[in-house]
Amino acid sequence: VPKAAAVGTPSLRPNPKASRIRWAATAASTVLGLRAGATVREIKADYRRLARERHPDVAGAAPGAAVDFVRLHDAYATLFDPDSRARYDRGVVVAVAVAVAQRPCYPCWGGATGRPRRSD
Amino acid sequence: MGLVFVRCEAVVQRRGLPGRRAVSADLFRRGGRFILQPRLNSSVLGGDSWLSIVVKRGKTSRWCSDADIAIRSTTSKGKRMAEQFYTVASDSETTGEDKSQLSFPDVAIGIDIGTSKCSVAIWNGHQVELLKNTRNQKGMRSYVMFKDDTLSAGVTGGAAQESAHEERDILSGSAIFNMKRLIGRMDTDEVVQASKTLPFLVQTLGIGVRPFIAALVNNMWRSTTPEEVLAIFLLELKALVEMHLKHPVRNAVLTIPVAFSRFQQTRIERAFAMAGLHVLRLMPEPTAVALLYAQQQQQLMHDNMGSGIEKIALIFNMGAGYSDAAVAATAGGVSQIRALSGCTVGGEDILQNIMRHVLPNFDSLYDGHTVDRIKSMGLLRIATQDAIHKLANQESVDINIDLGNGQKVSKVLDHSEFEQVNRAIFEKCEKIIIQCLVDAKLEPEDINDVILVGGCSKIPRIRSLVLGLCKKEVSYKNIDALEAAVSGAAMEGAIASGVTDPSGSLDLLTIQATPMNLGIRADGNNFAAIIPRNTTVPARRDMLFTTTHDNQTEALIAVYEGEGEQAEDNHLLGYFKIAGIPPAPKGSVEISVCMDIDASNVLRVFAGVVKPQGPAIPPFIEVRMPTLDDGHGWCGQALAKMYGKTIDLAVLPKKLQP
Repeated sequence: VPKAAAVGTPSLRPNPKASRIRWAATAASTVLGLRAGATVREIKADYRRLARERHPDVAGAAPGAAVDFVRLHDAYATLFDPDSRARYDRGVVVAVAVAVAQRPCYPCWGGATGRPRRSD
Repeated sequence: MGLVFVRCEAVVQRRGLPGRRAVSADLFRRGGRFILQPRLNSSVLGGDSWLSIVVKRGKTSRWCSDADIAIRSTTSKGKRMAEQFYTVASDSETTGEDKSQLSFPDVAIGIDIGTSKCSVAIWNGHQVELLKNTRNQKGMRSYVMFKDDTLSAGVTGGAAQESAHEERDILSGSAIFNMKRLIGRMDTDEVVQASKTLPFLVQTLGIGVRPFIAALVNNMWRSTTPEEVLAIFLLELKALVEMHLKHPVRNAVLTIPVAFSRFQQTRIERAFAMAGLHVLRLMPEPTAVALLYAQQQQQLMHDNMGSGIEKIALIFNMGAGYSDAAVAATAGGVSQIRALSGCTVGGEDILQNIMRHVLPNFDSLYDGHTVDRIKSMGLLRIATQDAIHKLANQESVDINIDLGNGQKVSKVLDHSEFEQVNRAIFEKCEKIIIQCLVDAKLEPEDINDVILVGGCSKIPRIRSLVLGLCKKEVSYKNIDALEAAVSGAAMEGAIASGVTDPSGSLDLLTIQATPMNLGIRADGNNFAAIIPRNTTVPARRDMLFTTTHDNQTEALIAVYEGEGEQAEDNHLLGYFKIAGIPPAPKGSVEISVCMDIDASNVLRVFAGVVKPQGPAIPPFIEVRMPTLDDGHGWCGQALAKMYGKTIDLAVLPKKLQP
């Protein structure tokens, strides 16, 4: 369930690059709804379709709308870049499990006030 | 009525009529609002709309807009005419009452303020419509004429036939133009330095503060600011639109150059606020063109003439003040901006190069700004401009002018000489196009269409240069070079205002990207980009930094925007300090700096200590940028002088990051 993946353990640890890719891989399968092996054209079409639903211009400036779109775009960008795509295709199964456990959480994402929070 | 705030003079105009007159009025303050009431003996009638307010103090007069208030006129219904008052609402004030008064469809208009010409477009319910002024022009000259007590902008161009401004009046020193080049720039900026050859006065001290700008009124230099000039121009533009729509307008989508800094954006928003307009959205010019292109492609698909697959367009826009390039990928009405780049060269630079070329002692000519010299400069400017325009369609052109004072110019200019003189400008144009292709990770072969827009896109060398770089024979035909940007802005205005069209012609989305790197000063004077240019917005990125001294308890976060590798080469947006860092050896503390651009393109910077973890570390700081007012160049120098390297940061090397 995509929403479940978004609720991780909040932490102030910034995201290291490695886990960014793993996270994006999860996002790719959950956010974009794609299976490994999707063609570039399918990825692009799906991205556009979802952007038309989730872009803040469409979804409104409600708190979280921007976050939703940023996740979508990160997932797309990972799959669109040939290098990270290859990594994604190779490691997607392992990555999903790791990413769910280690999903990085930014200090102030999703908060309506935008204020950084700590809740260890 | 509350306390008399100040006695002032308001310039009013009868709706639908070109004439205007000054009336004396009292400015009251009541419950945080400013209320302007015409004095009883002044002949203000229903249907009059105010244009501007001049507050008189002794013999000097100041624009009320200096008080940073947005001015909006309302007519009080059912009251005696003499009691009609004008409400002046403060900039930040938002009241529910405002909204309930809006019975008209509040669709944002599209405005393209060019360095040289300006245009305005509306969504008329079916399509985009460009408005014309009383002189039947869609492209209106961007200037404001200062004459005695009256001010008039290029929208009406002096309006009545007998007072119509001619080019030589505009170049007499009494008019301020090129506002878009000057707004939000410091006196150390090379664009401001180059503006010293303009007929009006641009004075610089070269210390990083705002330049002194003045217009010649009755043989006296009267000071003003680019924001003020722009606001006066916008007032006239707003009146034109309201006259056409027959209802007030409040919101606008404005196109801006890619090279516009965030600081300049705040200045332009302030000018709009002074004119009673709210900037709903700022759109880089080529992205407005991309939106128009996306609409056309979608239309082709609906008509079964297009394939529906992704099309990639390179858009090159060159106006009088700026050049921009963009790569946009379009499919299914979604226009995704893949790369943007821009620079501050334009037709004005070409004009100045040619003026210097035909008159070698040109630089000594503008020195002193005497009336004679201004006149000579004006003559040279008109003749050179004319020659450049002619050169677009012919092999060579004769420039023959008598500048007075025994100075004559007689010169034959051909294409090769024109290109030689402006080589540096063409190289800069090439540079931004190549950068755009590289950033978008595309080869020239990937480009489906090349779209050339802006006044300078008519120059043969510009056309051949752009087409050559993209390996194309011809450019895209279905777009008007001068109307594309404002049309796209009007379309975005309609979309952002929630207008839908049954034919689906507004079923469009633009996914924007950041035009410039955003980052902070770190590792000495280096610039560490946190959100790199061409990142899709909304965006959020973070980066780790560390201390440069043992037991360093404070760190300065100086936020910059730009393309330079050195922090000082970029635009300073603001700065703040993180205090209370737990004492530790240098390099062991981890400070996270996070930058966030939200859906409204607002930039926020978050910073705080993340290591060591513990209850004693200070809370995160959130700062909305830019925080700076004027004199931002001066600030950067002062910071460096005051603190030196004592509270510096360093980028945490990647290998240390988990």
